[in-house]
Formats: sequence, C-alpha cells, structure tokens
Amino acid sequence: MKTKKEFHSFYHEELRPHLDSHEETRIAFVKKRNKVILILTIIELPAMLFILLVLNNFYFMLISLLVTIAIGYFILGHDHKNFKNAYKRQVISKIVRFVEPGLNYRPTAYITRDEYYDSQLYLKNYDRYSGEDLVEGIYGKTRLKFSELKTEYKTTSTDSEGNTRTSWHTIFDGLFFMADFNKNFSSRVVVLPDTAQKLFGFLGQKLQSWNFSRDELIKLENAEFEESFVVYGNDQIEARYILSPVLMEKIVALKKSVGTDISISFINSRINIAIPLNRDLFEPQTNIPVNTFSAVQEFFDDLIDFVEIVDDLQLNTRIWTKE
Amino acid sequence: MIPSLIVLGVFFVLVILPVILIFNGLVAKRNQVEYAFSSIDTMLKKRIDLIPNLVATVKQYMDHESEVLTEVTKLRSQIITGGMSDDDKIKVENKLTQALSNFIVTIEKYPDLKANQNFNQLQRTLNETEEQISASRRSYNASVMDFNNGIEMFPSSIIAAFANMRKKEMFEIPETERRNVDVSELFDK
Repeated sequence: MKTKKEFHSFYHEELRPHLDSHEETRIAFVKKRNKVILILTIIELPAMLFILLVLNNFYFMLISLLVTIAIGYFILGHDHKNFKNAYKRQVISKIVRFVEPGLNYRPTAYITRDEYYDSQLYLKNYDRYSGEDLVEGIYGKTRLKFSELKTEYKTTSTDSEGNTRTSWHTIFDGLFFMADFNKNFSSRVVVLPDTAQKLFGFLGQKLQSWNFSRDELIKLENAEFEESFVVYGNDQIEARYILSPVLMEKIVALKKSVGTDISISFINSRINIAIPLNRDLFEPQTNIPVNTFSAVQEFFDDLIDFVEIVDDLQLNTRIWTKE
Repeated sequence: MIPSLIVLGVFFVLVILPVILIFNGLVAKRNQVEYAFSSIDTMLKKRIDLIPNLVATVKQYMDHESEVLTEVTKLRSQIITGGMSDDDKIKVENKLTQALSNFIVTIEKYPDLKANQNFNQLQRTLNETEEQISASRRSYNASVMDFNNGIEMFPSSIIAAFANMRKKEMFEIPETERRNVDVSELFDK
C-alpha cells in the first residue's frame, strides 16, 4: 500500500496541475455565488420590508424569502454540481488509481439494492435509497467494492387538524464495504452490534436467542468479541469456521479503529461490512482552496483506510482451497 | 367437581408444564452436544481421508526423510483400525495434528514439492480441514457450556439432578490450533 510520502510526491508531480485548474473553477464559482447573493439581497430586502410594512402580511413575506432562496439555489446549483463532478472525475479517480492500480472509481454509482438486500444486515424495508462514490476492483487476490450509502424509511402521522406530516428516519448512513471472503462457505453469518447483552448480561443473551427475524444465536468464546457483537447464523460449525479466533480479534480491532458500531455479514462467499459515518466522503470543499496538499490528503487517508480493511482482516491470505 | 378441575389445571400450568419445558430444553441441549461431537468425528474423518493422497504425492520427492511420513501413516492406520475409547482416540488425533504440522515444516526444505500444483492443492485442503476441525471443537465446547449452564443454574438444576444429567467435559484445544497461522511460513506470499 502507498505511503503518505509517496502520495506527497504524487501530489507535486501529478495532481498539482489538475488541482490548479479546479481551484480556478472554484474561485470563479465563489465569485459568482457572492454576486448572486448580493443581487438577490438587494432585490429581496426592500421587497420583504414592503410586504411586511405596507401589505402587512407576514406569511407572504416568508414565502417571498423562500422563493428567493430557491432561485439562488437554482442559479448556483448547476455550477456547484459541475465543479464537484469534474473534480471527482479527474482528481478522486486519479487518487484511487494511485492508491491501488487495480481499483476503479465511479462518482455517481453505488452499491446496488440487490447487494444491500442480499447482505441481510438491515432487514427493515426502506423508502429511500441513495448513494455515491463507488470504488471497485481487485486488491491483491481480493475483489472488493465500497461506496457511500444511505437508506431511510418514512412515517406519516396525522394531527388533530387533519394535517399529515411525513418524517424520514435513517436506517443506515455511511460506508458499505463488500469483499470476496478468503474461505469457501455455504451458510450465512450475521454479526451485529450488541445492545441487549451489554445492558442485561445473561438475560440479554436469552433475549437475543429469541430474535425471530434472525437465524440461531451463535455464542463465541472470545469475550471481548461477545461483548461488542451478537452473532446469528444457520450453521453453528461453519459460523465458527468463518469466525476463526484470529478473525474475531481482527474484527474487534477494526471496530476500535473505526470507532463506531459496525455490522458484518458473511453471505454468498462474500463479506459485507456496514460502517456508519457522519460525514460526506470524497467531497471537494468550496470555501477553502482545493489545490493544497491538506485538501487532498483527507481523500487519500480515507481511501487507504477502506482498502486496508482487506489487510486488516487478512482477506488476501489464501491458504485454504479458495484461491 | 369443577373447583378440583381448576386446581388441577392451575397445578398443571404452574408446575407440570414448566417441568416439561425445562426437561425438554435440557434434552435438546444434550442432543446438541452429541450432534456437535459427531461433527468433530466427520471433520476428523475428512482429514484421515486426505492422508493417503498426501503421502502418495509427497513420496516421490522425499525418500530419505520418511520418518515424518511413517509417523503420519502409522497414526492414520491406528485411527481407522478403531477399537479405541473416546479418550484414546482424542489423544491419537492430537498426535496426528502434531505429526502433520511437523510434516509441513519438513516440507520447507523441498522447493520442488512446494512448487507442485497437486501438493499445493492438498496442502490448502489440509489447512481447511484443520480449521474445520478446530471450528467443530469450538462448536462442541459452546454446546457443552450451554448444557452445563442448564445443569447448574436454578431452576433447571433441580430437574437435571432428578433426570441424572451430569456435567460434560470440554475439549482441550491444542496449542498448535490456537496460535495464529503464519502465512509466510506456509507459502511464498
């Protein structure tokens, strides 16, 4: 895997010229944005005062404000999108190929609905499914694929006056990682963050074994692993064949390094990992220069972290019959 | 008549039914232990079946150092002859695990053999089988723990005592299976 030092020279030799042209686009965009905001304010401010003081209509004033904001977004949205997409196509994809030549980047693609469904990590039906920033390809002997993904469901409630309100709730928002697993297996294993056992101890474990939407509870002997995760599977022995003592340690370490509650499943000879994140990955900023080293370093660090999951879990170790 | 029926019904729901449920739960756990034990046997059988192939492939390369091979073959025939108690069988199988890992270490000296496709495949299968044996032992231990918990915890402990159910012993996982697999030792990465 590439080091930060190598990336530094890559930045100077390869990236810098491209970044400079994107920086020009960014400056032009910021200028245009400031101009648009200024003009709209000059028009809208007197209009708001007029509506409020002369027509004496507060709601109408609010509506005019919202319309102005919408116009601003309409004028600038296109430019922002162009800037972002051009940046991603040229810069991010270069960084991806630099990190690992076997990988490809597609800014608007994401993990498919089938892949998400097959992972069985989240059983709740979603109403909205979106994502971006798909990286896929081969690293060492392992085929892998990851992207940002967000799934939500909605609830509607009606109040006493008959107004219906729709609210959206997040099921998963973060990085969805898939890779070819290094052992052959035919059953399925789902490893979820443990909540019941942490709160209720032995009784919690009893409760977990009555989870009817999941397979049998698999109790494992690694205490630290058991504390963080609950495991369901449809084959007690194969589950332990997959979750070897070494892999359990690696998963605990991975959880610690990401710092959030990860979920993992082993299905169809693949490993799926869902890592909730509260930030948008691989997005260029408009408020700070994009041609500095620190601006691209974040993308490099993120990519290394995700691709290195393969190393962290030793997926390139092919000493079993699967090559 | 009716009050006594109600008393009988309450007695059934409060006393007999829980006893039946707990007893059945314990039996299910005991069967799980037996099932897990037989799976270990299946996996061990798989390993035994691999040995003739392994020996045949390796023989043409290593005539002089056949002690390791003889040891493996000897242990194998000991196992397939049968007639051993469970404890003895476990001991012999553990010896075989040790002999096979010595054998793999010896192979390091034979680059030709390591390059042999057929041998490579056999070695992978052997690794896989060892890992499966370890998995089935861990699975057995987990079901034994489950069963022992049932036998020792109140209230199922009372029923277990009446049914004369005894605590079961766990498997010792050999040290060689517990240590991490060092890949570079086995293969050129």
